Amino acid sequence: MGVQKDRIKFNVGGRVFETTATTLANAGRDSYFGALFNDDWDLLHSNNSQEFFIDGNPECFSILLDLLRTGYLHIPSNVPERLLYREAAFYGLINHVRSAKWGPFNGNRLRYCKSVTGRAPGDGTAIRAGPDGGCAVAHGSMVHVFDWMLEEHPPINLDYQRVNDIGWVNADSVVISTCERLGTPDGGMGLFTSSTGELRYKFNVVHGNQTKSFTAGALSFSPDYKIFSSCKGRSNEYGIGVWDQVTGKQIDFFYESSLGDADKLQWLNGRNCLLVATLFPRKDNCYISILDFRQKRMVWSWSDIGALVTVDEKRVRDAIAIEETNSICVVNEYEDLGFIDLRMEGGGVRWSSRSRLSTGNMLDEPCYPKLALHEGQLFSSMNDCISVFCGPDCVLTSRLRRSDGGSICDFSIGGDRLFALHSEENVFDIWETPPPIL
Amino acid sequence: MSAPKKKTIQIEAFRHRVVADPKYAEKTWNILEHAIHEIYNHNASGLSFEELYRNAYNMVLHKFGEKLYSGLVATMTFHLKEICSSIEAAQGGLFLEELNRKWADHNKALQMIRDILMYMDRTFIPSAHKTPVHELGLNLWRDVVIHSSKIQTRLLDTLLELIQGERSGEVINRGLMRNITKMLMDLGSSVYQDDFEKQFLESSADFYRLESQEFIESCDCGEYLKKAERRLNEEIERVSHYLDAKSEAKITNVVEKELIESHMQRLVHMENSGLVNMIVGDKYEDLGRMYSLFRRVASGLVLIRDVMTSYIRETGKQLVTDLERLKDPVDFVQRLLDIKDKYDKIIGSAFSNDKTFQNALNSSFEYFINLNSRSPEYISLFVDDKLRKGLKGVSEEDVEIILDKVMMLFRYLQEKDVFEKYYKQHLAKRLLSGKTVSDDAERSLIVKLKTECGYQFTSKLEGMFTDMKTSEDTMQGFYANVGADLGDGPTLSVQVLTTGSWPTQPINTCNLPTEILSICEKFRNYYLGTHTGRRLTWQTNMGTADLKATFGKGQKHELNVSTYQMCVLMLFNNTDRLTYREIEQAAEIPASDLKRCLQSLACVKGKNVLRKEPMSKDIADSDAFFFNDKFTSKFFKVKIGTVVAQRESEPENQETRQRVEEDRKPQIEAAIVRIMKARRVLDHNNIVTEVTKQLQSRFLPNPVVIKKRIESLIEREFLERDKGDRKLYRYLA
Repeated sequence: MGVQKDRIKFNVGGRVFETTATTLANAGRDSYFGALFNDDWDLLHSNNSQEFFIDGNPECFSILLDLLRTGYLHIPSNVPERLLYREAAFYGLINHVRSAKWGPFNGNRLRYCKSVTGRAPGDGTAIRAGPDGGCAVAHGSMVHVFDWMLEEHPPINLDYQRVNDIGWVNADSVVISTCERLGTPDGGMGLFTSSTGELRYKFNVVHGNQTKSFTAGALSFSPDYKIFSSCKGRSNEYGIGVWDQVTGKQIDFFYESSLGDADKLQWLNGRNCLLVATLFPRKDNCYISILDFRQKRMVWSWSDIGALVTVDEKRVRDAIAIEETNSICVVNEYEDLGFIDLRMEGGGVRWSSRSRLSTGNMLDEPCYPKLALHEGQLFSSMNDCISVFCGPDCVLTSRLRRSDGGSICDFSIGGDRLFALHSEENVFDIWETPPPIL
Repeated sequence: MSAPKKKTIQIEAFRHRVVADPKYAEKTWNILEHAIHEIYNHNASGLSFEELYRNAYNMVLHKFGEKLYSGLVATMTFHLKEICSSIEAAQGGLFLEELNRKWADHNKALQMIRDILMYMDRTFIPSAHKTPVHELGLNLWRDVVIHSSKIQTRLLDTLLELIQGERSGEVINRGLMRNITKMLMDLGSSVYQDDFEKQFLESSADFYRLESQEFIESCDCGEYLKKAERRLNEEIERVSHYLDAKSEAKITNVVEKELIESHMQRLVHMENSGLVNMIVGDKYEDLGRMYSLFRRVASGLVLIRDVMTSYIRETGKQLVTDLERLKDPVDFVQRLLDIKDKYDKIIGSAFSNDKTFQNALNSSFEYFINLNSRSPEYISLFVDDKLRKGLKGVSEEDVEIILDKVMMLFRYLQEKDVFEKYYKQHLAKRLLSGKTVSDDAERSLIVKLKTECGYQFTSKLEGMFTDMKTSEDTMQGFYANVGADLGDGPTLSVQVLTTGSWPTQPINTCNLPTEILSICEKFRNYYLGTHTGRRLTWQTNMGTADLKATFGKGQKHELNVSTYQMCVLMLFNNTDRLTYREIEQAAEIPASDLKRCLQSLACVKGKNVLRKEPMSKDIADSDAFFFNDKFTSKFFKVKIGTVVAQRESEPENQETRQRVEEDRKPQIEAAIVRIMKARRVLDHNNIVTEVTKQLQSRFLPNPVVIKKRIESLIEREFLERDKGDRKLYRYLA
């Protein structure tokens, strides 16, 4: 008897489907089916023998019904993904599709998924993965935003000034930092709605009760809703600015001229401190420091001034703090990894020979290495490939390379995806972990 | 049955749909608007979810999201206004019920509207930065209904009235109250706080301010506390039944402030029923209630503690300075113990063993016990009394309990060395007279003293026990060796006391009777023969003797007397009459001791083996003594006690004091040297503090005495004054 009551017939665009209420319950209350089965709408219960008509695409309905039945998404080649996504949005199942599309991120199981070719004229500057699988790409003075369906949203610019860095505050908001235009309030930093490209507010630097124009550089965010950026003004406004993500108001400024040019900011959750790295070739020497805003001082710093210049002249090209091991990982232009101990002042770089890689094919336009960290896995880009290191000793475990790809100028991990931006081609690649099958 | 028919008609509408129709948006919206009306009018059963959903979807898809949204706001506002006037029209008690019913209706309608507009909720609203449908529904309900001028104050007044009614004993519909407060919470915690909680707390404060005034005028302290506790529990219960859990802390705060904090002083000091009366009357329940209520208020416990402390100090001071009480040291100490027991019980059963109260109790005891400089002596006397006779027939555990209590009093003493002095004297008397009840109890107390004060404190006491044991062995050896030569003479039992371990004073040996003298000589020869390099001095003031005496009518008795008494009595073997002077000359006993022993021989009824002329209590130099021929006693053995001064007399006390002061000197000096040896250079004030710290487990050294000792050490070149800074002392190695 229960079985009888449980069965439901749908007529979707002329094709009849029969399923059970149990399967449809997997859609959740906040979906078309969830509402349909709510007691308030008592249509179905009075005549469940009858089929229920939906004016929709039967192909897509079949895919989505399968997704509800099995939790597994299979898109046949004859169904355009965009069509499926639109139908899924109608039924309120778009999040089901998204979470079934790719699996939890694992650097050693990444598969090349797709490349997206942009329209920008210049070389890529930066790419940043959004929290829900979308990304933002900076080319010159423009930022192109893509959602997880790789649907492009209206592009973003801040007075058409050159973009230095981008960051996702949340799935719906992007901050971009740009150069100033001398003598005007143009440029600086702005927060945009990612889906519409509309400017929500600009961040100001106030010095001596006066609003100053400034060039914003590297960005970082902390979980307590603060935005950090390295800033360069005309007079004294060199240093790290701190703003509130919610109100957009400046809440602090750490004046220190050497920090205004930083290449990289990284918020350290465990220490409640900010790492600031200014590196060669922007400056002649490399400076890495850690700021504690509660004490308003630099609690740790390192520099290669006075360090012995070795024969092959290893210069630090990127740095990332690994809090679990109390160290900062650095990389040089030969993709040698090195480590600096965070627990002591004035220590040197311990270069790790084990991580040394055979230099890949040198490309016409080489790119400096970049580092990224994700759940204990360390990623390093060099020329046309990305290497994955695991474990406490950072052992090389995987390498991501596309046969026809150019050199990678930036990459980013977020929303369980890895995005790699190529410098000369106007292209970025998406790498995903396939969802587990059974 | 009519449902399928309706459905086909609606599908017709689809067929007519033309996207290019300029009135398309208007038409679609009309369908949706109609549906919203039907939902609010409880007519939803005829609506097709599929159709409505698709219509809303199409509107958003064709960029009519804004129209859809503003239409929704207008339609919902229209219905809420209608609802609002129907609630306003509700009479009296029906008001809340109507509000509750309409709220439930609105919630249901809101859910259905949200279902239809789900696609807009997901896509249009986030990108257009609009308020989501559910939140919009709540906001409109808040602004249109709850904040309508005719409802806002009426709602608040009704709620407060009902709560007030419940406080005065009426039964109210708690379920309804819960629904209404939950509604306010659903509308946002700020709505609950601003539209209800704030005024609720204010009116509660007013109510309890008045009520507490009424209570305090008409009730005694215990009764008041009971009422306050009941009110507090009622409020906590109220919160759990129909208010937000976060209100509990706030409302209890109000009750605490109005019922307790404002009247704290008056309650504690209330005449005939305040804290002191509760303590005196052992009212554990009331005390416990006061504690648990006052604990909720800042400085509440401090007040109780302060009042209790000053009461203990005051009564304690009265006790230790009451001259009547001081006449009986045992009773005095027993009283101290009783007081301690009383407060221990109060703190244990009413004040939940609060550490700060225990500390206050201890410091109070320390304060008043040391007000009386004779406390150490009395505590020792109490122990003496217990160990002499008081512990007979008491189980071992109870003995331990009594000893532990004594130790507790001991801990309060500042002059522990004075106690030691007396304890030594009393222990010596117990050991020498063989009066101690239980060796185990004696040793147990010594172990306790040792753990409390260290080895040094008890080494001499332990030496006394060793002497007793060795003496026993020595006597056995003596009789085994020379026993055969002694013949029929008197039996001697000697206790050899190590000098220093015992509280002996250099004393002139009295003239012993010749019979005794000879055996004493034999013992001396034996002892010095077995131990070389020793000197024996007879402590005739501490011994006892058993004498066989025959009185008139041939009555024979065995007299148990002290050595001095023996010497006196033996003189009467040759004569029946002796004057005081003759006795004094013959025996060479110190005058005060002689007088005391004559008193006990002649002036105690039933024990008067001598007769005195003239008959009086006191002994004068001119008195004459006769052998009392007519002495009778129903016992064969007669124990003639010395008239012992249980408490020390004033001059004796002075003497003990002086000896204590003398003993302290080397200890202070030793402490100074120890400190200076470690520190090399130190100024005067620091030496005094350090010395006091080192010695306070035994006594509180007087700074003047410390200064004198430093001067003496400088004279003897242990220390010198710094040449530059006269306040500094240097240690001279």
